[in-house]
Amino acid sequence: MWKILLIAILAISNCQAVLDNDANTLVLLDNLAIRETHSIFFKGLQDRGFKLTYKLADDSSLLLSRYGEYLYKHVIIFAPSVEEFGGDISVERLAQFVDDGGNVLVAGSEKSGDALREFASECGFELDEENAAVIDHLNYDASDAGDHTTILTAAKNLIDAASVVGKDNRKAEAAPLLYRGTGLIADKENPLVLKLLTAESSAYSYNPDSNISDYPHAVGRGTLLIAALQARNNARVVFSGSLYFFSDESFTTAVQYAQSGVFHKMSGNRAVAESISQWVFGESGRLRVASVHHNKEGERNPPEQAYTITDPVVYTIAIEELVAGKWQAFKANDIQLEFVRIDPFVRTTLKQTKGGSYQAKFKIPDVYGVYQFKVDYDRVGYTHLYNTTQVSVRPLEHTQYERFIPSAFPYYTSAFSMMIGVFVFAFVFLHFKDEPMGKSVKDDKKHQ
Amino acid sequence: MNRSAKIVNSKVAGYSSLITFSVLLIAWIAGFSSRLFAVIRFESIIHEFDPWFNYRATAYMVEHGWHKFLNWFDERAWYPLGRIVGGTVYPGLMITSGSIHYLLHMLNIPVHIRDICVFLAPVFSGLTSISTYLLTKELWSPGAGLFAASFIAIVPGYISRSVAGSYDNEGIAIFALQFTYFLWVRSVKTGSVFWSAAAALSYFYMVSAWGGYVFIINLIPLHVFVLLLMGRYSPRLLTSYSTFYILGLLFSMQIPFVGFQPIRTSEHMAAMGVFVLLLAVATLRHLQSVLSKNEFKKLFLVGGLLAAVIVFIAVVILTVMGVVAPWSGRFYSLWDTGYAKIHIPIIASVSEHQPTTWFSFFFDLHILVCAFPVGLWYCIKQVNDERVFVVLYAISAVYFAGVMVRLMLTLTPVVCMLAGVAFSGLLDVFLQEDSSKRIQGSTNSTLDADDHEESLEKKSLYDKAGKLKHRTKHDATHEGGISSNLKSIVILAVLMILMMFAVHCTWVTSNAYSSPSIVLAFHNSQDGSRNILDDFREAYYWLSQNTADDARIMSWWDYGYQIAGMANRTTLVDNNTWNNSHIALVGKAMSSTEEKSYEIMTSLDVDYVLVIFGGVIGYSGDDINKFLWMVRIAEGEHPKDIKESDFFTDRGEFRVDAEGAPALLNCLMYKLSYYRFGELKLDYRGPSGYDRTRNAVIGNKDFDLTYLEEAYTTEHWLVRIYRVKKPFEFNRPSLKAKERIVPPSNFISRKNLKRRKGFIRNRPIVVKGKRTLK
Repeated sequence: MWKILLIAILAISNCQAVLDNDANTLVLLDNLAIRETHSIFFKGLQDRGFKLTYKLADDSSLLLSRYGEYLYKHVIIFAPSVEEFGGDISVERLAQFVDDGGNVLVAGSEKSGDALREFASECGFELDEENAAVIDHLNYDASDAGDHTTILTAAKNLIDAASVVGKDNRKAEAAPLLYRGTGLIADKENPLVLKLLTAESSAYSYNPDSNISDYPHAVGRGTLLIAALQARNNARVVFSGSLYFFSDESFTTAVQYAQSGVFHKMSGNRAVAESISQWVFGESGRLRVASVHHNKEGERNPPEQAYTITDPVVYTIAIEELVAGKWQAFKANDIQLEFVRIDPFVRTTLKQTKGGSYQAKFKIPDVYGVYQFKVDYDRVGYTHLYNTTQVSVRPLEHTQYERFIPSAFPYYTSAFSMMIGVFVFAFVFLHFKDEPMGKSVKDDKKHQ
Repeated sequence: MNRSAKIVNSKVAGYSSLITFSVLLIAWIAGFSSRLFAVIRFESIIHEFDPWFNYRATAYMVEHGWHKFLNWFDERAWYPLGRIVGGTVYPGLMITSGSIHYLLHMLNIPVHIRDICVFLAPVFSGLTSISTYLLTKELWSPGAGLFAASFIAIVPGYISRSVAGSYDNEGIAIFALQFTYFLWVRSVKTGSVFWSAAAALSYFYMVSAWGGYVFIINLIPLHVFVLLLMGRYSPRLLTSYSTFYILGLLFSMQIPFVGFQPIRTSEHMAAMGVFVLLLAVATLRHLQSVLSKNEFKKLFLVGGLLAAVIVFIAVVILTVMGVVAPWSGRFYSLWDTGYAKIHIPIIASVSEHQPTTWFSFFFDLHILVCAFPVGLWYCIKQVNDERVFVVLYAISAVYFAGVMVRLMLTLTPVVCMLAGVAFSGLLDVFLQEDSSKRIQGSTNSTLDADDHEESLEKKSLYDKAGKLKHRTKHDATHEGGISSNLKSIVILAVLMILMMFAVHCTWVTSNAYSSPSIVLAFHNSQDGSRNILDDFREAYYWLSQNTADDARIMSWWDYGYQIAGMANRTTLVDNNTWNNSHIALVGKAMSSTEEKSYEIMTSLDVDYVLVIFGGVIGYSGDDINKFLWMVRIAEGEHPKDIKESDFFTDRGEFRVDAEGAPALLNCLMYKLSYYRFGELKLDYRGPSGYDRTRNAVIGNKDFDLTYLEEAYTTEHWLVRIYRVKKPFEFNRPSLKAKERIVPPSNFISRKNLKRRKGFIRNRPIVVKGKRTLK
């Protein structure tokens, strides 16, 4: 009896636990040991305010959304060998989660399972074949076991985007990054994939235990270690071929190039992993349009109906960036405005005003139609900023044309002289007709 | 004349005016009521396509006032180009119904503007018959005028354009046309400035109402020219034409849409040339009276030739320099019927621009088409100044009606007039004896003869003197030779024919011309019941209720006005086909593959695509049947991307079944029309996906749409609306299985409804009670 009661209580409490769950990040793990081996990374997240919910990846009670509402904003998958997710979660559900705006951080390994491969291909990249590892016979760490798979890659191999990898992490003096895992292959056709980290030119990805019979899928700088996808809805997915990259061990060990012997007290992994996690979970590199305003120069509000052709127009857009949890004015000098009617008629660089918003002044072209003010700011590492405002541009009204055109003055003169002439003629014709008659009569009389 | 004669005379005049009045009144009422079939069967609704724009523009004008209308820039049409409505429209129609609306509201009669629009054309048909009466009276006799008025009131050729709800320019333009001609004939007859100024004013109304005013401004100069050639120059002609031309020119240039065309385009040059010629002839006449015969002959030859050459060269040079625009395409297609098909598919694609079939002459005019040559013969035989006009009118109108179905409309009035002349001539001959006997028996026998003589004299005032005698003789011989039996038989036969004409007219009006075409009706063959298909309005209403206010809807241009009028949404192209390249772009989108057309659609910001599909109910006017025109128009602008030959099979057939051309089976229009049609079984025995319009099983049944999704399909599948997906909906280009370098494993899911646990490879298993080896 008490057993049933206990189960009931447990069930209720469990249910409660899910319902009251305001943890915004779901962490899926191969085994709970990973929580301990990667504790620094998780701790860092928790310190930044993330609430982490650890679950085994095959847990049959996994639930991503309930009643159409997502329970989590972000998902971390540190479960390389998962073949199939448990419960409600599947690759399709995860893809849907990304399409609905969720962010996902995934780490694989040499022995990545099928679920990760499927999810990777949904995002436009692939994990190399099973057991294939990135091998570098020149740039491996001193701690390597002998197959040269614990490799080092210099900080300059990081993507050139401060918002993704951090400001200082890419500098020449920054420590190299420690990596052990498989290589990634990016879809060349996919314009949304970012290559966050590549290996050195001497690296390749192959099974270290077998002879090389085929050409490796990834060679040299083309060996992709960490890849990212920023989807068109600005959801972000980061895929690492190495779970080890985020581990406490790689965060804390000293690194030494086995060949050249260059020594660093600590690997650069921690800082890079932290900034990548900041980027993927939307703490950095986020832009938004705060306000858009346009008006005719000298007026305050946009016209009620439409602009008239050749009106001088002022366009103001306020763009904000998320910095340390607060929206601040974004600074850049390469934001452009287009005035588009199928083709852009005007393209101009927006200038930042004192208030922090961007402004452009231009003259509307002498072509009527329906136009759009279009700001399309797409930079690596930032959310894709796309804003259009539709306005109509109408031709002149019948009262707005010039009343008198200088070149037409000969015609005006002729018209008015004609009018005067007709008037004078009519006057003469009507009033001086009788006199010659009378004269002729008089003449006749005289003749008589 | 003594007093009693005067009394009788006034009595006769009273009767005749009573008859005239009542006949015209009855004609008006009959004409009005026979145009109401559509209203009674369906409802008071605007028909077809163009009337929807006219209605929308009228409603806008009534709501916002004339100046706003004049400056109306419609940003909802021709997205993203927009359309200046005020400057690209003949405003006569809107002003007419707007002022009627204003007047009625001033009298506190609250009529909705829609009802005025619906009933405008039937009301104006009465005015048309009155002006036809006046014109025919001027040309021949009041009797013929009454005949003509009754004919035009019910003739199908005119009804086809003026049923209730057909709120189009032609509805009022035919009245303006006839009235202008009447005033012109009057002014030629009298030579008074008053009448020719009135003609110019009426011409102004015509210009404001319809592009067909070009017919007037070419026919009247032609009349003058032919009169000059026939040696019938008179100062009256000079007065009336120069007054009419100058005033008409100035008036017509006041319409914004016409603007400077009257002095810059070739269509109007004939009028100017004739004006110059007339002045030259007048000058010569004057010189003739001053100079001696020999001098004049020399001067005439040299001067005439020189003037002709100078005028010709000037026109050519101006045309080459581009000051005078060459003939417009529509005008060319009047001379060369094959021109449009080769050069301007957009003109040829309109069904009403096709050449007329012989059948439709009879269908639209019935007995009149037989009587019309008789009337023409009468007019040629007893020719005078104004009859020259009607002869020219008849000949040119017959030609134009043969070129385009649409111009049947300009033929109809002249056919009615000449048929009226024919019938009245016939009755004159066959009723004459009775009346003359009766009159002979009465005391005032001489009076009628006097009147007759007088009227004949009046008529023949401008005739050549020789003809009068001949005609009276002719009449006299006729009167002697016909027995009264024969007369009554003939008259009975004529009356029978006229009755059958009336029956035919009613039948045609009821069956052919009274369909609003936005509401379809069909008779169920099994139980004879009448079914209404209201799919168009259903779809437009759906659009107006379920889409964003600024949603942009792509459809073929035929439906542009209706979408704007009924759904109030932005359209890309509409029936005002002013921009061929924009239409070609839509045609290209329709005839490309889904992928390519998606690029075009995103560049045009299209939100929804609307197609008309008749395969379920067998409606033949759907988009697949119009599709070849889309291809042709697109090919005209984008010959590299679209080729008409790709859409035909190897044997040159246009077919939608499995043997159809692959380009056709994969184009957007095909996919949108037949999306999921392959799953539909229309009856138990037939195969699925059977298209009733083209009587074929469709060739491409099983396909999916990538870039669009079905938004709405009406009850009978007549209108199908698709939503164009936005770029962000294709969130991430995923790698397809076959594109992958590392081949996917064939992992089979082990999850089911009960067992929700996943699977992790190499998962460490906790084995209790054992110590690890290390």
